[in-house]
Amino acid sequence: MAATGLLLGLILALGCFSEICVAIISFSSLQTTLVVTVSHPRRLLRAGEDKITVRWGLNQSLPAGTDSAYKTIKVQLCYAPISQVDRAWRKTEEHFSKDKTCQFKIVKMPYTTGNQTLEWTIERDVPTATYFVRTYALDANDHEVAYGQNTDAKKTTNLFEIQAISGRHVSLDIASVCFSVFSIVSLMGFFFVEKRTGRKAQQ
Amino acid sequence: MSDIEGSPGSSMHGVTGREPAFALSVASPMVPTDTTAKFDLPVDSEHKAKVFKLFSFANPHMRTFHLSWISFFTCFVSTFAAAPLVPIIRDNLNLKKQDIGNAGVASVSGSIFSRLVMGAVCDLLGPRYGCAFLVMLSAPTVFCMSFVSDAGGYIAVRFMIGFSLATFVSCQYWMSTMFNSKIIGLVNGTAAGWGNMGGGATQLLMPLVYDIIRHAGATPFTAWRIAFFIPGCLHIIMGILVLTLGQDLPDGNLSSLQKKGDVAKDKFGKVLWYAITNYRTWIFVLLYGYSMGVELSTDNVIAEYFFDRFDLKLHTAGIIAATFGMANIVARPFGGYASDKAAQLFGMRGRLWVLWILQTCGGVFCIWLGRADTLPVAVLAMILFSIGAQAACGATFGIIPFISRRSLGIISGLTGAGGNFGSGLTQLIFFSTSRFSTAAGLTWMGVMIVACTLPVSLVHFPQWGSMFLPPSKDENKSTEEHYYSSEWNEDEKKQGKHSASLKFAENSRSERGKRVDSAPTPPNATPSQV
Repeated sequence: MAATGLLLGLILALGCFSEICVAIISFSSLQTTLVVTVSHPRRLLRAGEDKITVRWGLNQSLPAGTDSAYKTIKVQLCYAPISQVDRAWRKTEEHFSKDKTCQFKIVKMPYTTGNQTLEWTIERDVPTATYFVRTYALDANDHEVAYGQNTDAKKTTNLFEIQAISGRHVSLDIASVCFSVFSIVSLMGFFFVEKRTGRKAQQ
Repeated sequence: MSDIEGSPGSSMHGVTGREPAFALSVASPMVPTDTTAKFDLPVDSEHKAKVFKLFSFANPHMRTFHLSWISFFTCFVSTFAAAPLVPIIRDNLNLKKQDIGNAGVASVSGSIFSRLVMGAVCDLLGPRYGCAFLVMLSAPTVFCMSFVSDAGGYIAVRFMIGFSLATFVSCQYWMSTMFNSKIIGLVNGTAAGWGNMGGGATQLLMPLVYDIIRHAGATPFTAWRIAFFIPGCLHIIMGILVLTLGQDLPDGNLSSLQKKGDVAKDKFGKVLWYAITNYRTWIFVLLYGYSMGVELSTDNVIAEYFFDRFDLKLHTAGIIAATFGMANIVARPFGGYASDKAAQLFGMRGRLWVLWILQTCGGVFCIWLGRADTLPVAVLAMILFSIGAQAACGATFGIIPFISRRSLGIISGLTGAGGNFGSGLTQLIFFSTSRFSTAAGLTWMGVMIVACTLPVSLVHFPQWGSMFLPPSKDENKSTEEHYYSSEWNEDEKKQGKHSASLKFAENSRSERGKRVDSAPTPPNATPSQV
């Protein structure tokens, strides 16, 4: 009797736990409790050179204790909708495991109350696109429990553009030309030398 | 040079045997050995090898085989080198799905034209220079990848690199100068299959090279450009090896090839006419577009698909994608072998059924691949799909030699072009728009494979029947001789130009399967002596 009761209790608890788990990994279940602002020196930023300043903190109008579960903060660079058009590899999905909106981690650090500021140099592998910044608050199990972003819910305001590095280098271009010239010259060389020895042999 | 046979496309003499030929060697009574010749392998009167010794590098026959297939392999590596790196390239060049799809179409379209030109080049300069010219002139196009900075440049460079796939023609042509026609089927099939493997090897090689360069300190957007130097250098190395170690003919003399008298020169116009008015040609052009064509399309999209759908690392996606192309090492020869075995038992009807079964199974597994939600199932479906499609390629070339004897070269060329055309079309419809996700694209491609394989049931040979119908009951029409001599008009027959066709007709009687023994002697069977 006690054993059955224990088993039932376990099943119920597991059920609740899994429901909670399911609830956590979906974006729409999160609350917007954080306020995030981003400032940047110019409208079009250059990857590898320019810096952005991110400020985040708990929304002061919320009751105290809202952030009791927050243990870690994760700040990410996310694609704006205009940069997701015709690019299914950046698609926004409800479930975190499938969501590809935020692909660049700016910082991940322990949560502290009060406002935080961070200056971040844009990394050199960031592609050309339009972005916004989103901050997630994670609990002790590393699950997202709340978030904030520097743009509105429709992701249309306060966006900024980043121009990627080209990846080209003068040394690479020169090497390319050298190898190509070598290929053509050696081919022509072989061809004419063989033609000449062939003609000599016939004479 | 005016007496050279050889108009574009007709120059593929010996491309797949005049007999169901997946034989490894030819015994002496059938083809007499020239005992005066001093070669490592037994040779016939033209000094073409009668034996195919796979692991030898003996000059000139086996050395030619290895130089030839490795050159073709290298061109496949460079044509599909961008595919596993697309997740990096798309971010660097700010590509949209249409751009990636269009680049894939471009990469397979160039060779439709270059393969037609290659036939003429091989005739003028010989296969050794044909191969070396193409491989070394396409090396700069590979190096051009380091200059690319937008979608337009990317598409243009992939188009130019794609021209190098014409090494297929030089490869097959070169084999036919070195190997006796009775074993040429297996030789060409192996060379083609192993060359196609390059499409798989590149999915393994490029992410590996990219990782190494990244670890050496380069940023991603520079590392992928440096990675392209590897296929580029392979082009140069193979070109130099072909020029220094290769020779056009067993005896090493190109000009004697051009003075050959025993292959009668045929009129290009007539050869083309008989090729294009034979409806079977067009059915096989369509079919090859959905066996070889889908193989090329899949080479272009599969690594990116696994990377995105299952969140794999770049080199993991590359390893999985590589198994698709590498299956060619056994799958394509297996298709030819299955076709030959079926022909032994059921004749041509067996060959047609084997082709239909293999290609349709490939299509069904492709549908499964698109719908697979978990990684292990997707990998299994992909492997089965690759075996089906590649074996179907092998089985296709088990039937092509029998469509026509006079126009074999052009029909082979048209079929090959059909493969590339089918690939371009499939990528354009299913993988260049945002209307279908890649998974849906794969599913619909599978459906299209199944649908486009149905026309094989319409292929009917009066002397052998078709998948469902028996051979013609008419006494005259039901002979092989009638079918193959119908490609010559009365004047040509009077001049005895059709003698080779008659010889072929006699040899092709094996396509009756078990009915060969009971075949009645056809009237007027003895060819007029020339």
